[in-house]
Amino acid sequence: MPTSQVAINKKTANRFIESKQSRWSSRIINLFFCLLSILFIIPLLLVISISFTDEKTLLQSGYQLIPEKFSLAAYSLIFDSPGVLLNAYGITILVTVIGTVIGLFLTSLTAYTISRKDYRYRKIMTFFVFFTTLFSGGLVPFYIMVTQYLHLKDTIGALIVPYLLSPFFILVMKGFMDKIPLEVIESAKMDGASEWRIFFTMVIPLSLPAMVTIGLFISFQYWNDWWLGLLFIDNQNLIPLQLMLYRVMSTIEYLSNNLSSVNVSIDMTQFPSLSTRMAMAVLAAGPMMLVFPFFQKYFISGLTVGSVKG
Amino acid sequence: MNKQWFKVIAGVLGLSMVLVACGGAKEEKKTAGEGQQKEELPMVELVWNFPLSAIPQDLDTVQEAVNKITKGKINATVKLKAHTFADYNQKMNTVVASGESYDIAWTANWNWDYLQNQSKGAFLELDDLLNSNAPGLLKSMPEFVWDAAKIQGKVYGVPNYQTVTKREGFIIQKRFADKYSLDVSSIKKLEDIEPFLKQIKEGESAEIVPFLNDKYGRFNIMPQSLGMEAITANNIIGVDLKNPETPINLYETEQYKHYLDTMRNWYTKGYINENAATLKNKNDIIQTGNAAVQFHNVLKPGGEVEAKAANGGNDVIYVPLTEPYASTGTVITTMQAINKNSKNPERAMMFINLLNTDKELYNTISFGVEGKHYTKVSDNVIQVNKDGGYAPNAGWVFGNTFNGYLVEGVDPAVLEETKKANESATKSPLMGFKFDSTPVMAEIANLATVIDQYLPALETGTWDPNEKLKEFQDKLKQAGTDKVMDELAKQIKAWKQTK
Repeated sequence: MPTSQVAINKKTANRFIESKQSRWSSRIINLFFCLLSILFIIPLLLVISISFTDEKTLLQSGYQLIPEKFSLAAYSLIFDSPGVLLNAYGITILVTVIGTVIGLFLTSLTAYTISRKDYRYRKIMTFFVFFTTLFSGGLVPFYIMVTQYLHLKDTIGALIVPYLLSPFFILVMKGFMDKIPLEVIESAKMDGASEWRIFFTMVIPLSLPAMVTIGLFISFQYWNDWWLGLLFIDNQNLIPLQLMLYRVMSTIEYLSNNLSSVNVSIDMTQFPSLSTRMAMAVLAAGPMMLVFPFFQKYFISGLTVGSVKG
Repeated sequence: MNKQWFKVIAGVLGLSMVLVACGGAKEEKKTAGEGQQKEELPMVELVWNFPLSAIPQDLDTVQEAVNKITKGKINATVKLKAHTFADYNQKMNTVVASGESYDIAWTANWNWDYLQNQSKGAFLELDDLLNSNAPGLLKSMPEFVWDAAKIQGKVYGVPNYQTVTKREGFIIQKRFADKYSLDVSSIKKLEDIEPFLKQIKEGESAEIVPFLNDKYGRFNIMPQSLGMEAITANNIIGVDLKNPETPINLYETEQYKHYLDTMRNWYTKGYINENAATLKNKNDIIQTGNAAVQFHNVLKPGGEVEAKAANGGNDVIYVPLTEPYASTGTVITTMQAINKNSKNPERAMMFINLLNTDKELYNTISFGVEGKHYTKVSDNVIQVNKDGGYAPNAGWVFGNTFNGYLVEGVDPAVLEETKKANESATKSPLMGFKFDSTPVMAEIANLATVIDQYLPALETGTWDPNEKLKEFQDKLKQAGTDKVMDELAKQIKAWKQTK
């Protein structure tokens, strides 16, 4: 997530500089980060602008930041038969919402458990979690696990279950929860609160920044995913949005690389035009780009605390 | 403490091993009885994997229609599993590695490699099945097609019979040819087109590209017109057709130097698009109708109609430089193979037989259901309904294309001409030979890096070959061309002995 990291760096850098260094150097650094931000934003703007450009102008005069000839053709083409797109949108939203809620719940539960200093096996448990970040079973065992043991092939579960618990998110959240003093929990216990009550009424509110940050990360992971769909979904009604986009893009790329020396015929005109592809990209990325700024303020406390503790 | 850790790790490793072992264990192949009668056949379901440009939305209707036919004829239903061309390789590798069951899978030399997967043991040997269960299939294709499909003397995949030839030459937009009254018969080799390019450059607006080139260059698709055949990946090593047993480095030939000089000449004169060295997808330019002349290697009968659509609706003419030519590579571009672990190999073979001999089945899988996905114009000519939800437009993925309906606009003589071209084609002296690159994998990878670095700028004329060609050749040599040539010579020799 480069944009969020830049955002964090920028803010922390600014604070540091304002208090300790002269204005002159802070201006240079500000300027540097402004330029850097622009560099990040330009490609995005370009994609949006291409999606609004007339196809013919696009092919003749290339990419331009301000469309030479404005056109809504790409979008109208997509919304002419919106059924497939809307269905994919629905799947993606469903998966993102369910996945984020359950994923966040499980992540925080696990992180909380292994952050409790009075839990006897916390070191071993932490190692278990950590171990999976170092070694994975690989693609084939993963595939076998999901299809032949969990029987999730061609179900919506295949899009949700594999991302429910990510060791990295657990460790980041554990880092945050480590800071909650054990005394607070103990005193609540003395007052007669059950473990669940402590978790829901004390731990979760106390770690709100971490919850929001991790929650957003989890939702990004679900929103941007095409990989699980590619592996496990054959039913066309369960295809998520990003997979739809990915398939168009990757097939065009693959065919233009491979087709010239093969004597089979594939009609390349049946693929959506460049501006239509970009319009699809904008539609696919749009909602998350809008959501992002609202959560940004939580990132500073949510993430830095996690990273300090490792 | 240490002991505890060790136990944990050992436990985790042990558990994962068990999981892998469980998943990897496959059911033993059943030996099924032979010579069963049709009435006795028990009902089975076959699973068929194949790739398309895009996964059709209305695959279910087609599957139903297909099953109606297959149920009556071989008492089997077929589950159609469509993938995209880009995903196919990865997806099938995962399916095979995980032991997931399937019966039939599409394979080729350019996507989910036939030779490689055969050597991994993914495919069932088909010779016996072909003889006992597919009477019509063997006769439906010329002998050399079967020869091309053989690996060490045995057939592991059934080619989908279609255009099995290549014919190199120019695709020229008719409007320019007419305007400058181009004498097509005067064009015999690559540089004969130059005066025409000059006329276009001078007479047309700047957006018209006289000769379209892209970063992959044109040399790799013109070996035949230069009297050579390319064999390894990236077309580095091949053979001179006059002496087909001695491998040569194609990039060290006189012909290559000549090609580069021609391109450089055209580039400096402005006949080649300036962005050629970085152009990945030349179709974006072709679609605008701005590409006046292109060089292509598959000028097949009737192709002008398809090319018209691809050229933004402008009519094109084909100017071939070679006669139709067939080699291993042109035959095994599309085939069906049977899974080694298939539970019903006989039935799978019967189904493949039907795909290649039964017109009704072939047309259903290629064009869908009449009235919904296409409408009949006359008995054998149809019009495809583009919004019908099923228009794969790639019958060659499924079976014998000569059984197919003609799509409206295609000349009915095309099928006959294609057949004639297939049968009369010059056959490669290495027909049936397939290069196994496993022993020289590292060299091939190194060579690919060198190619990426030099080829785009050299072959589009962006660089002066006098300065860079030597450097390119030296780098190729360093990367191991000699070793690849030795390996190739060895394999050709071994292959000759099995013939």
